[in-house]
Parts: sequence; C-alpha cells; structure tokens
Amino acid sequence: MTVETFKYDNRIVRAFAIATVVWGIVGMSAGLLVACQLFWPDLNLNLSFTTFGRLRPLHTNAVIFAFVGNGMFMGIYYSLQRLCKARMFSDGLSWFNFWGWNAIIVAAALTLPLGLTTSKEYAELEWPIDIAIAVVWVVFNINMFGTIARRRERHMYVAIWFYIATGVTVAVLHIFNSLAVPASLWKSYSIYAGVQDALVQWWYGHNAVAFFLTTPYLGLMYYYLPKAADRPVFSYRLSIIHFWALIFVYIWAGPHHLLYTALPDWAQSLGMVFSVMLVAPSWGGMLNGLLTLRGAWDKVRQDPMLKFMVVAVTAYGMATLEGPVLAIKSVNALSHYTDWTIAHVHTGALGWNGFLTFSVLYWLIPRLYRTSLWSVKLANYHFWIAVMGMLFYVVPIYVSGVTQGLMWKQFTPDGFLQYPNFLETVLQILPMYRLRAIGGGLYIVGAVLMAYNLWKTAQSGQFLPDEEAKAAALTGPAHEENKYRWHRWLEAKPLTFTVLTIVAIAIGGLVEIVPLYLIKSNVPTISSVKPRTPLEVLGRDIYIREGCVGCHSQMIRPFRSETERYGEYSKAGEYVYDHPFLWGSKRTGPDLARVGGKYPDAWHYTHMDKPTDISPGSIMPRYSWLLTQKIDLTALPSRLGALRKIGVPYPAGYEDGPAQKDLQAQAAKIVENLKIGMVKAEPDREIIALIAYLQRLGIDIKGATPQQASAP
Amino acid sequence: MIKDTLQNIGGIGLYGIISICLFFAVFTGMLVWVFLLKKSYVKKMGALPLEDGSQTDGPQPIDSQTHSPNNSQTDSAHE
Repeated sequence: MTVETFKYDNRIVRAFAIATVVWGIVGMSAGLLVACQLFWPDLNLNLSFTTFGRLRPLHTNAVIFAFVGNGMFMGIYYSLQRLCKARMFSDGLSWFNFWGWNAIIVAAALTLPLGLTTSKEYAELEWPIDIAIAVVWVVFNINMFGTIARRRERHMYVAIWFYIATGVTVAVLHIFNSLAVPASLWKSYSIYAGVQDALVQWWYGHNAVAFFLTTPYLGLMYYYLPKAADRPVFSYRLSIIHFWALIFVYIWAGPHHLLYTALPDWAQSLGMVFSVMLVAPSWGGMLNGLLTLRGAWDKVRQDPMLKFMVVAVTAYGMATLEGPVLAIKSVNALSHYTDWTIAHVHTGALGWNGFLTFSVLYWLIPRLYRTSLWSVKLANYHFWIAVMGMLFYVVPIYVSGVTQGLMWKQFTPDGFLQYPNFLETVLQILPMYRLRAIGGGLYIVGAVLMAYNLWKTAQSGQFLPDEEAKAAALTGPAHEENKYRWHRWLEAKPLTFTVLTIVAIAIGGLVEIVPLYLIKSNVPTISSVKPRTPLEVLGRDIYIREGCVGCHSQMIRPFRSETERYGEYSKAGEYVYDHPFLWGSKRTGPDLARVGGKYPDAWHYTHMDKPTDISPGSIMPRYSWLLTQKIDLTALPSRLGALRKIGVPYPAGYEDGPAQKDLQAQAAKIVENLKIGMVKAEPDREIIALIAYLQRLGIDIKGATPQQASAP
Repeated sequence: MIKDTLQNIGGIGLYGIISICLFFAVFTGMLVWVFLLKKSYVKKMGALPLEDGSQTDGPQPIDSQTHSPNNSQTDSAHE
C-alpha cells in the first residue's frame, strides 16, 4: 500500500469564510433596513432604488445566495477535501467558483435596486445573471465530482451524498425555473404562464429551501458536529434513511405554497400530503444530530461552537415541524399571506442557517490559522445576543401573523367584515414590526462581534495555506469490500449514486408538473379574458420593476372573508397571459386581483404620489418618481414580440405601428379621466401605464357569461 | 374535479399507480438495505470524518489556551 503525501487547499476555504462574514452582515443589514421601512416608510428617502419592493429581494438574495451560499462553499471545500483525502480537483476551478459566485452577488446587488427583476421569488435575477449562475454552478459540480473521482477514501461519507444532491438538484431547479424569453438585455418573460408558472416557481422556490438551505447544511452538520463532539454520528444508518427519505419526499412538497389558489386541487393535496410526511426524515436527522452529543453535553457548556450547533439543529427541528403544520390546508388558510410565513422562514434562516454558519466559522478559523479562538467569552456573548435577537424577531412576528390572519377573517354578528378596512389590520401589528427590528438589530450586533473575534483570532495565529496530509492511494477493491457488495455498488460509485439521486428528485417533479402541462388545454379558459393592451403591458412591467408583488397578492382564495373583501375568487383561466404570474405570497397591503375599476384613475394617481394623503397611517412608500419618469416606448415592440413568442396572441406586426397607436389612445383616455378628478398629467408618464394596468386587474371576468365565470 | 382532470389525461391513472409503486418500492428497498448493513461497515463509515488524514486530527501545534485575557475557559473546540 503506497502512502501518498498531499496538501489540502485552505486558501479557498478562507476566501469563502471571509465572503460569508462580509455578505452575512450586509444581507442582514439590508433586512433590518426593509424591516424598519415597514413602520417608517420614509426611510426609503423617496428614492426608487431604496424602496421596500426593490430592497426586499436584495435582502433575500443576499442572505440566501451570498451568506448561506458562501457559507456552504466554505464548509464543503474544507470537508470535501478531508472526506475524500484529496486536494480539490482544480485550484483554477475553485477560484473560478469563488470569484464567479461573488461577481454574481455583486451583479445582484446592482441590478435589484435598479428594478431589474423577474419578480419570481428567490429567482429574481435577470437572464444574463441566470446564465452566469448556471455556469458557475456547473464549475462547482465539475470541481466537486473531480475531487470525488480522485479521492483516496473508497467510501463516500453521508455528508458527500448531501453535497451531491445539492449540486445536481440546484442545477435542475435553477435551469427549469429560469427558462424565459428575453425581450432585451435586462428584461425577459417567463416561458410559463399563470398556474403553470406558479407551480414551476414553487417547485423551485420550495426546493431552493430544500436543496440550497437544507441539504448542504445537513452535510455540514454530519461533518462538523462529529468533529466538534469528537465522536461519530449517533446512527449512520439513520443518516442514510434521512438522506434518501428527505430528497425523495422534499421535491413533492412545493404546491403547499399555493394552497387554496387556482392551482388544481389534486396538486394542492399532493403537496400537502408530502409536506406532512417530511416531518419524519427531518426529525430523524435532527435527533441524529442531537443524539450525537450523548455523553458530550459537558462540551456544549464549554464550547461556543457546539452551543451554536445545538441551537441550529434544534431550530431545524422546530422549522421542519412547523413547515408541515403550515402545509395543512386548514392551518394555511389562516397563515398564508401573513407574517406567520415570515416568522417560519426566519426560524430556519436565523436559527438553522445562521447558527450553523456561525458554528462552522468558530470551528474553522482557529484551525486555518493554527491557533485558538481569540475570545471564548466574546463568542458566548455572541451566542446569547443572537438567541435573544432570534426570539425578539420571531415571537412578535408570530403574534403579528396570527393577529392579522384572524382580523382578516373576523365577522360581526350581523355577518359583515369586522375590519373591512385593510389598513386597520396593518396598524394593529405595527408595534410587532418595531419589536422585530430590535430583534434583527441584536442579531446583527452578534454577527459583528463574531467578525471581530474571528479577525483577532486570525491576527493571533499563522495562516496555513496548504495543509499537509497523508493517505494510502486508492487501489483495486479491498478484500473487505466484497462483503458489502450492494452498498459499495451504491455509494462507492459517484456516478451511479448521482443518477439515482436525479431519479429520486425527478419523479416528484415530473409527477407534479407534467400532468399540469398535459392538461394545459383543459385549464378552464375564459373567453372574455383577453391579452393586455400595450399600455397595460408596460404598466405591468413597472409593477414588476417596483416589486409590488412583494406586498400585494393577486390571488383571491375561495373564502367568504376574501370574497367579501376583494370580490369573486380567482380562477385559473384569468391568468393564462400572465408571464410571469404575480400571485404573491405576502399581503402587507391588500390583494389587488380585482382592484380594476374599484377606484377612479385620480385616486390611483394621488395614492401613488403620497399614499398617506388617501389612507392616513398607510405604510406604503411614496412612488412619486412614477409621476415624472417617462414611459419607455422604445421597449414596446421587443416586449410584445417576446410575449407573442411564448403564446400571447398578439396579431403579427401589431407591435410595428398599431400597438403604439392603441397605447396613445388609451393614455389619452386616462389623462381625460384624471382631468375629471382634478389631476393634470402628461400622457407619457409611467404613472399612466401603471394606472392602465391596475384598472385592468380582474375586470375581464366581469364580461364572462355566468357559466364561464363559475368555472374552477 | 380531480376525477375530471384525471379522466382528461391519457394514461394518467397508470401514472398515479406507477408513482405510488415506485414510492413504496424505493422506501422499502432503502429500509431493507439500511438494516442489512453490517455493523462493522456502519461503524467504519460513521468514523470517517474523524480520520481525515489531516494534521488537525492530532494535537494542535499551538497550545490550546486562548489568547484573550478575558477568557477563563479552555477552547474545547480543539481536539
């Protein structure tokens, strides 16, 4: 047996670690800013770039892809090398991965405040950046599989299984959800429309949580927790069950984001059943993690790294119990569109991802610098401040979510809505928003303390860029392997393993998505639903640009409390021209699915300029720039052309002349209407297009025959 | 509605049956596989992260006392 000497690459791990800390603080601070804007709208400084609708996706992208993304790469690049007993396959690819990924984050930080967005949650980035993401992700996969191929350890430890599942599934999800037809360099339309777009988006969105925020971090848990506790994982058998059950079940659960919407009922039920089933593998994993510490709880008292890890694993358990509960239709009827979802997400993000990242950082940095943590005391302070921060964040937001959800559904004894004015339910929860901001602030203070502690740790040690290691070269099958032919066949062959993983995730995806495509012709169409006019198309693009979907849904669920408040419940056939769908997932403001015709044009004009003039106490920010910015008419032909390509039936050549004429005529009509409302406006301003779009929302169905209108 | 939807897709009945069979087969197969694993193999696999061939598996080159004067506890993260 030849023993080989080789070196682990610590430079790349350090680079990702630094990026994790920096982006973490940036992303959390963006979160704090938008949280404060919810009770102090003027904090947007009346600038389009710093308004909630544009910054909210910046916050989510920064914490998911920048903070957790870099954290994931940091943890994987360190552990994969050691589990494979091999240096990363290619230093060049490692650095391409690092610089490519961080360049994408910078691109996101620039484009999102500029309003360049697809509006699909956690997939907001426009198509050139989407292509870059695909390239960098493929490079990461090549580097990972190359390292696995060159390994000196015959068996792949379960952490590597989770990494492989992450690598292949994120690629599949990203590519299919991002399929779009470009209208220009920074504008594209999803190839899917309405119900189909919603299902694909939440197949992606839910599994982004599963395969970006969960599986890689479970891999990290299975590596770093045994390392820190200095004992093997409680049950390796359970970890195998955890893995296969999780990846097989997770992929089906996406439709629980669309309960009681216009999505076909069977897809909703499928999503609900699989979501409930998810409790089993998730809790199996959580217990496996916590039980690894049996007999080692004394270490948890002393070691801040383990403290963070224990809270992370516990938060994973809490979030994965709550998730299935929220996926039960009757619970979801109350929780959906409220802050309850936000609280749930933050239990996972702050508790599971945040605490696990902090834990790994506290463990890694002293090792990379061949020293000890500069201050355990400071790390303990960080721990308690972060715990307090998390509690101050989630508890008020749970209260807020349940309160508002109940208020929306409250009827008087006479059968009228108790709180018919939506704003009343918002004003009720503002104190909770203030408390939440305090919690978020505390959490950031903790992260800054950690950055300082790690900085001082690095200063006190000496960085070891290339860490020498020794291992026997991998030769032919060892004698002992023959005894375990079947599992060796599975986990000692990365290619077979990867194919099986893809099959496992593909089954769930296909069973849900394919039938919806097969029944495309059967999605009950409504003959009175027509494509939008050119002015409305541009208005909708402004709605997308400003991120209105972040606060306003366009999906009325079939509850009396909703039909009383908003009008007839939404039908699948109403969305057939919606590329992308704009159903939304949170109602910070009221639903807009049927806002068309509800108020005069002048109302919208004044409201967009200064919402508090119309609704005193409103927390909607001002959009006064829409009153002065001109509509980009040059974009119209390419946008109508792109929409036609994906199935919106505009006549051939319509965009070359007739469209402009129709647009001018409709704009002139709106200007006339505004005059009646004592508002003087130019017809070429963006507000005119937005008013045209808003006034169209939900009115098509009013021209439908009773039979069509009652279609599901 | 489910019935209508299903009836309008060719072969959809088979689709559902295939998926439930696959689901059942995969889970049963996996559980059987996992419980047939030899104890020695499971033990060896579980210990993999602890034997990664790196220097950090041994004692730290620098003593494990932390550098902060505020620090009264040893950094037990060290192995």
